[in-house]
Amino acid sequence: MRIEQITQAYGDALFDTDRGQALRVIEEAVHAGVGPEDVVFRVVLPTMENLMNRSAEDGATSLAQHFLASQISSDVVERMLPLFQKAHVSSGTVVIGSALGDFHGLGKRIVVGCLKAGMFEVTDLGLNVTAHRFVDEAVRLGAQVIGISSLMVHTATGAQAAKGVRALLKERNLEGRIKVIVGGAPYLFDENLFRTVGADAFARNGLEAVNAVAGLIKEVKP
Amino acid sequence: MTALERLIATIEGRPVDRIPVFCNLLDQGARELGLAPREYFADGERVAEAQLRLREKYGYDNVWSLFYVGREAELLGCEAMIYSAEGPPNVGHMVMKSMDDVDKVIVPDDVARHPAFEQPARCLKMLKREVGGRYPICAYITSTMTLPAMLLGMEKWMPVLLGPPTPERSALLEKCHDFFVKEVRAYREAGAQVVIYANPFASTDFMPARFIRDEALAWVQRDIEAVGAEGMVFYCGGARVTPTIDAVLNRTGLRAFYLSPLDEVAEAKRLTSDRALCCGVLNDIKLLRWSNDEVRAEVARMLAAGMPGGHFLFGSLVMPLGIPEEKIHAMVDAALELGTTK
Repeated sequence: MRIEQITQAYGDALFDTDRGQALRVIEEAVHAGVGPEDVVFRVVLPTMENLMNRSAEDGATSLAQHFLASQISSDVVERMLPLFQKAHVSSGTVVIGSALGDFHGLGKRIVVGCLKAGMFEVTDLGLNVTAHRFVDEAVRLGAQVIGISSLMVHTATGAQAAKGVRALLKERNLEGRIKVIVGGAPYLFDENLFRTVGADAFARNGLEAVNAVAGLIKEVKP
Repeated sequence: MTALERLIATIEGRPVDRIPVFCNLLDQGARELGLAPREYFADGERVAEAQLRLREKYGYDNVWSLFYVGREAELLGCEAMIYSAEGPPNVGHMVMKSMDDVDKVIVPDDVARHPAFEQPARCLKMLKREVGGRYPICAYITSTMTLPAMLLGMEKWMPVLLGPPTPERSALLEKCHDFFVKEVRAYREAGAQVVIYANPFASTDFMPARFIRDEALAWVQRDIEAVGAEGMVFYCGGARVTPTIDAVLNRTGLRAFYLSPLDEVAEAKRLTSDRALCCGVLNDIKLLRWSNDEVRAEVARMLAAGMPGGHFLFGSLVMPLGIPEEKIHAMVDAALELGTTK
């Protein structure tokens, strides 16, 4: 099977939320001699890009499809990376968590999966995370980006979410070194809300988060 | 014309003095009474009192028996809620840790006699006594397919739904359906007339169209057949309703759809025509920053799309606690004024 056919088959399986078929496509590709670099760079990443484009164009993809695509693709990339001929170059380092008072983790998990599939180093701080912990962990891990997820308006706009993180970054003179991205339902309903809370960017979904985080990392001063 | 008469006439397509205007003020109740949320939600009469005061203050057409969504988990064994002064309480204890815990979900034989129903029942009793027969009394009930997310967590439930059918999944859905039917009965018997049937798993924003066609709609149909369509309002938890409206209408006979702010009102009206009530929903998160003029312009835009042909109700979504009172007045006043039939 040609690599384009493998990519097509993998994308179809993700679109159909058929986990078994998606994994079979990858297994068969590996068995047929497709190298780990090609699996990542010519199958997984273009498929995720394609899903993002379909989502942006006509909103034809659902949360469930994003969820499954992120989980499967991050698993595949994690399996392939140790098999690379040369050590891979990380796309960047991100710490992510749900804001204080927010106990919803599905959206965050999708973003974590998408970022890992995009070869970012991601540390998931979990649910109910304080602004101090976001910043302390970002500094400790050398992260360029802090990701803050909120399902509810008050956890998005609260003093312990992006506003609090922004204040701490300012206070510690870290704004040039660490960028802030937010996501979750409130930001979908008001696309200016990320500015109100002091974030540098927001993403509508996990797939979009990959490009947004990559863009923020370019702005980071070494 | 009372608010209840207005709602019924609108559903039936008869002439009305103005469109019904619904506003969902829930967390505002504690602030209205000057109480901490935990104290406020502990007493059903306080919730009813706040609902009555809020309705009186702003002048809209409905009252709520809903305390917070997690209340349903308490009826199924959830032992802890996490309260916040800034927003709704969160479920703080998952009844199920995994799908091996289906047996831990105990459906009460009689929901109305469950201790966790005592305060909602007191709330309904007071609402019925004070405004019954004049204002629609609303309840919020989670659909069979969505309820497990509250027991197990969305992160764990979604992969189960996307995976192959298992005996545990079937058993959990059967339990949730049993509970759903009993809960609707309990709320109706206590005085609720409008039941918001919450089902994000029937929105294409949430699940693939194929899944909705093959699985979700069958459960919607079963839920509605079991309790009857009367007074039931289809709602996808803020996700878009329009892509599935036609299929739901054809399979269930539901006669009311509470849209998402992301739905196009005109498109929903085109799909429902005179077959059902369309509830247009303002994107109330923007009330946090909009000016009064912007609020009025958005209400006007929605009403221009929704009012022609009747069968239209104006409503809000989650109404975050941070919205200033002035903006609530601006929204409701505009809907009352511009929604008046000439």
